[in-house]
Amino acid sequence: MNASILEGAMPVSDAAPAALAQAALAQAALAQAARRARRSLVLMVACVLLIGWAVPWFANAYWIKTLTSSLALSVAAAGVALLYGQLGLVSLCQYALLGAGGWVALRAGHGLGWPFELSVLAGGLLSCVVGMLAGLPALRLKGLYLALVTMMMAGGFQVVVNVTGFPDGGAGWLGRVFGSERLMMPRPALALSDAAYFRYVAVWLAAVLALIELHRRTRAGRSWALIRRGEAAAVAAGVNILSYQTWAFGLAGFCAGVAGALLAGGVGQLDGRAFTAGESVMLFALTVVGGVYHWAGALIAGLLLRAVPALLTDFGVNGYLAMIFFGVALLHALITAPSGIAGQLMGVVDAVRQRFAAPKDKDAAP
Amino acid sequence: MIRVDDLTVAFGGVKAIDALSAQLDAPVCGLIGPNGAGKTTLVNVLSGLVSPSAGRVAVDGADLLGLKPIARVRFGLRRSFQTEQVVEDLSVWDNVRALLDHVPHARGEAASQVARALSHTGLLDVATVMGHRLNLFQRRMLELAKSLVGAPKLLLLDEPGAGLTEQEAGVLRRTIGAVHAFCGAQVLLIDHDVDLIAATCTQTLVLDFGRRLALGPTREVLDDPAVRKAYLGTE
Amino acid sequence: MEDYLPFVISGLGLGAVYALSGVGLVVLYRSSGVLNFAFGAIGALGAYVAWTLLEADWPQGLAWCAAVLAAMALSLAYGRLLAPRLSHRDPTIRSIATLGFALVVVGFTEWTWGEQPRRLVLPTDGGALEFVLGEVEVRLTHTRALGLALAVLMMGGVGLLLSKTRVGLKMRALANDRDLSALLGIRVLGVDTVAWILSGAFAGVCGLLLANIVRLQATLLTFLVIPAFAAAIIGRLHSLPATVAGGIAIGVLEALAITVPGFAAFRTATPFLIALAMIVLYRAGTRSA
Repeated sequence: MNASILEGAMPVSDAAPAALAQAALAQAALAQAARRARRSLVLMVACVLLIGWAVPWFANAYWIKTLTSSLALSVAAAGVALLYGQLGLVSLCQYALLGAGGWVALRAGHGLGWPFELSVLAGGLLSCVVGMLAGLPALRLKGLYLALVTMMMAGGFQVVVNVTGFPDGGAGWLGRVFGSERLMMPRPALALSDAAYFRYVAVWLAAVLALIELHRRTRAGRSWALIRRGEAAAVAAGVNILSYQTWAFGLAGFCAGVAGALLAGGVGQLDGRAFTAGESVMLFALTVVGGVYHWAGALIAGLLLRAVPALLTDFGVNGYLAMIFFGVALLHALITAPSGIAGQLMGVVDAVRQRFAAPKDKDAAP
Repeated sequence: MIRVDDLTVAFGGVKAIDALSAQLDAPVCGLIGPNGAGKTTLVNVLSGLVSPSAGRVAVDGADLLGLKPIARVRFGLRRSFQTEQVVEDLSVWDNVRALLDHVPHARGEAASQVARALSHTGLLDVATVMGHRLNLFQRRMLELAKSLVGAPKLLLLDEPGAGLTEQEAGVLRRTIGAVHAFCGAQVLLIDHDVDLIAATCTQTLVLDFGRRLALGPTREVLDDPAVRKAYLGTE
Repeated sequence: MEDYLPFVISGLGLGAVYALSGVGLVVLYRSSGVLNFAFGAIGALGAYVAWTLLEADWPQGLAWCAAVLAAMALSLAYGRLLAPRLSHRDPTIRSIATLGFALVVVGFTEWTWGEQPRRLVLPTDGGALEFVLGEVEVRLTHTRALGLALAVLMMGGVGLLLSKTRVGLKMRALANDRDLSALLGIRVLGVDTVAWILSGAFAGVCGLLLANIVRLQATLLTFLVIPAFAAAIIGRLHSLPATVAGGIAIGVLEALAITVPGFAAFRTATPFLIALAMIVLYRAGTRSA
């Protein structure tokens, strides 16, 4: 927005100088808001990249691998948060879409010898398309039906992938091979070591978060906000509700698919028995606990999904106690703290900032 | 210009609108009547939320009923609701900008259109404020501002002044009166505030039980004994 | 045709459980507006309680009762302590919250009893009913026969409860319009309590039957309840007869799927495929309506 907004402004009052001054003030406020928005975007990307750079210095080999999985799952959590936070849609099949993306990436990597980035994008694209197809049957029905439909799909995927498994170097559609001939997913040339791969995944996470954030700030985000307000408001503004919901599904699917590919690259192989419907439920639950309205929530969700259980194992705590804790956390998040851990953290940050902010900043948009 | 031909809207056995025919061509038209007369139903038919059982509706010559609700917005229809529909987590600027996302407009003109609309409604100084921080008057003005962008042809305002103080209603009155000069759109105004109708509308349609009770210059309609009996009460 | 009969009979056993679970879900949804995703988990815990008691040589009847009581208590606890905190939120969130409860219950179950699969062997497994249908010999263990009988009784009982009793009338009113019912003086919380307890009883019985038919393992039992949701979807979350028919059909079709060449390994996906097909059909139906 660079052209002066003073052009064509026709004020109701007669006092021209006062109106011009008002317009100038407004332009300044808008410019400041735009600057603030750009800053927060840059800050987000910088934070994630900083984490990517710094962590391998402090973490041992086991923790680098664990945190790589955490970051990969954060990508998927970002998609879940998009659907629920922006549109109130509950998708209980995102982990299945993660598996589907991982499957495509593995097949492309092993069988077609594609470069890693292309495999990741292929995985993302498939899950994007499947995500949109999954959303279409249920989007016209009540929100609860969407949760049920996606749960059915996750159940179906669980059964199928349990039988077919994941590609690991063989030929044919399924690409399976057995015994000692099983291959690991080939990693990108500049990210062969675990530390380098961790940084590589951090870059992907930053890119995906930025993609979502850019959506939020433009037409898509405004349309989603209108849909959130209500069907009447959205229709009155000319929003094609089905299109924008489907687009969100596609984007969330893309996130899941990319996450699956990154997970495959990190772990090397994916196990067909590990993609249960319950995993999708956990992904949803912990994304809500992490916080669906802020990008940090996705990071926290990834940590809760992989790092916290690993930590508990280190301390000799039974993993199922973690499950109890997560269930309680979900109930707590839904009942008392809808914006999750990230939201509460940001609330503290905002409170601190307000204390030290100049009076004129207090009413402006955050 | 709004033209309604033999419009009937039936919900089950109840006729919310009964064989209504009218032509409204004043720049600002009033739509009044007792509660349940069918005013909001008529606006719902115009905006596409309700399908009529029979009849035709045309705006500026174009058949409206053949267009889906979203297409009507693109055509130039704008509608405000009795309960304001301001988006809480968008700023004032973005609330108005959102409408231009779905309505054809010249490239690069979006910012100036939004600024003009906000200036006309006196919201330019709160452009960056988030929706949830606005008071009722600002919300009502924002609803109006949203209707002013994207080359509107017809504004349907459903009780835009509900809940406002005398002074605020006065500002709203002046702003609505200036809409036609601002963007060339026609305004159809539903309200119970007779002063607002008398001050802004040159032509008024009175509905009662879904039927047309009176249509004509506002002063004549308000003096009509039948209208007084049905709506304003005999004194 | 006779070749398929054994599969049909075996499918009826599982189908009856699906139908029973579906009814338990729909009855609760109709009265309280909550779709209880923790239904399977609650039933699983009940089954483990029964297992523990049977291992301690308690009589079977008492073990069954204890299981059902445990499930009822859990269901009631959620319904009275946690659900009211969400009563003003939209229906999706109120149901999603039960996922949290499911995690708590499953976590507790696995932590207490361990995750290794067990068999819930009931004394009634020993005897069986044997009869001949057409030219095929059919063998139903006493447990399966009891399960089928129980299923029929419970479903019929609930149907009668809803249509013939005052409580049932109130439950239907609540399902229709909760706020209006409250205004009319119906003691919402009281009726809610009945619905949650009833649903818990269904969960307990289903948990026992599933643990016996398949095996006793918390995550598996929780997963197995997803076909119950499929049955509930077929009933459009509203009609009990349709839910029952749906559940039985899903069970039978899943069993018959073994005979389809190439599909046998995927047969446990049958309920999901049916549910998805029904949703697409329903959507097409509502669009044209």
